[in-house]
Amino acid sequence: MAGVATKLTTGLTGMGVARHPTTTLKGLYAKILRTTAKMPDDASYKKYTDEVVRDRAAVIEKHGTDWKKIEQEINCGQIEELIIQAENELNLARKMILWKPWEPLVTTPEPDQWKWPPPK
Amino acid sequence: MASNILRKLSGSLIGVGLSGSRVSQTFNIAPTVLSRRLSSEAQTEAETRPTIRKHDEVARAHVTDFGRYVAECLPKFVQKVQLTGTDELEVLVAPEGIVPVLSFLKDHHNAQFTNLADIAGVDVPSRKYRFEVVYNLLSLRYNTRIRVKTYTDELTPIDSVNDVHKAANWYEREIWDMFGVFFADHPDLRRILTDYGFEGHPFRKDFPLSGYVEVRYDDAKKRVVVEPLELAQEFRRFELNSPWEQFPNFRDTSVIEEAAPAPEKK
Repeated sequence: MAGVATKLTTGLTGMGVARHPTTTLKGLYAKILRTTAKMPDDASYKKYTDEVVRDRAAVIEKHGTDWKKIEQEINCGQIEELIIQAENELNLARKMILWKPWEPLVTTPEPDQWKWPPPK
Repeated sequence: MASNILRKLSGSLIGVGLSGSRVSQTFNIAPTVLSRRLSSEAQTEAETRPTIRKHDEVARAHVTDFGRYVAECLPKFVQKVQLTGTDELEVLVAPEGIVPVLSFLKDHHNAQFTNLADIAGVDVPSRKYRFEVVYNLLSLRYNTRIRVKTYTDELTPIDSVNDVHKAANWYEREIWDMFGVFFADHPDLRRILTDYGFEGHPFRKDFPLSGYVEVRYDDAKKRVVVEPLELAQEFRRFELNSPWEQFPNFRDTSVIEEAAPAPEKK
């Protein structure tokens, strides 16, 4: 914690200050990357998720435990919120492996399904 | 604070113009086309009339890029992405994919649509899948909204999104009550708005405006009785056609297209 002020509160009800936020985040990002590694390489979801996660992991790597600079540079909420986002993404990635959204379209719509005004 | 947070979508994606040359892509994005409504195409030249809403080109570009992003990430489920005349993003998805799409929009880093504002229904009896179910989502993080639409008919159930958004519980009960769309895996699918013992789904187009029954207090029986409706008024034809065209932007431009689906319906 050399030179980094301790966070006293998040200011948000129900959200406590994370004990070791950077360690938690690093672990979560590694897990996400391990999960997306099971997807095919040309899946766009994998591509973009990896990109976001690598970006954020790099920021955390750069600033160490300095949560202020991390929050400032990622600019997506407090570090506790980043943890929540990473947890959500991890859950989503695990479900995505079952859903396989990179496959071709599952149902083509009826020709008049999305027409407006609808045919008489 | 939240309004200045912008999604960091990848550079190659933003570089692709809406009608410009598309960068050669290795992934499969063929069936998902980003198209605009007729009403927005009519507004290509700069709008100078002071009373007409002007398009914010920057916001529009962001919305367009995000629409393409969603279509690219979920090519299995997204059938079409479109902008409305007022630059609202609409994602039209296959009924099988409603849970994956809403989960993606809720949990993905670049989406974070954590708030389900409403679920609405539309009944179009002339279509094969007559009901549209419309999900309105809000992302507090990025200060943006998105609309997800899917479709079904009277018998096909749609997956309940109650596991993704808790708010869907009552909204889906409303849709069930008003339109009779069945939601599979809903924990508590009961009527929510209509009275005890009510029959039918009042928002269906084939439900009569006056309903089927009337309720009155019977003095002899000393209680409220429910009776089949007797119309006091003679049958009246409501002539709602107008000699003027109210929505020229929604005019079906092609006469051939309009004529073709008619014979197979009646």
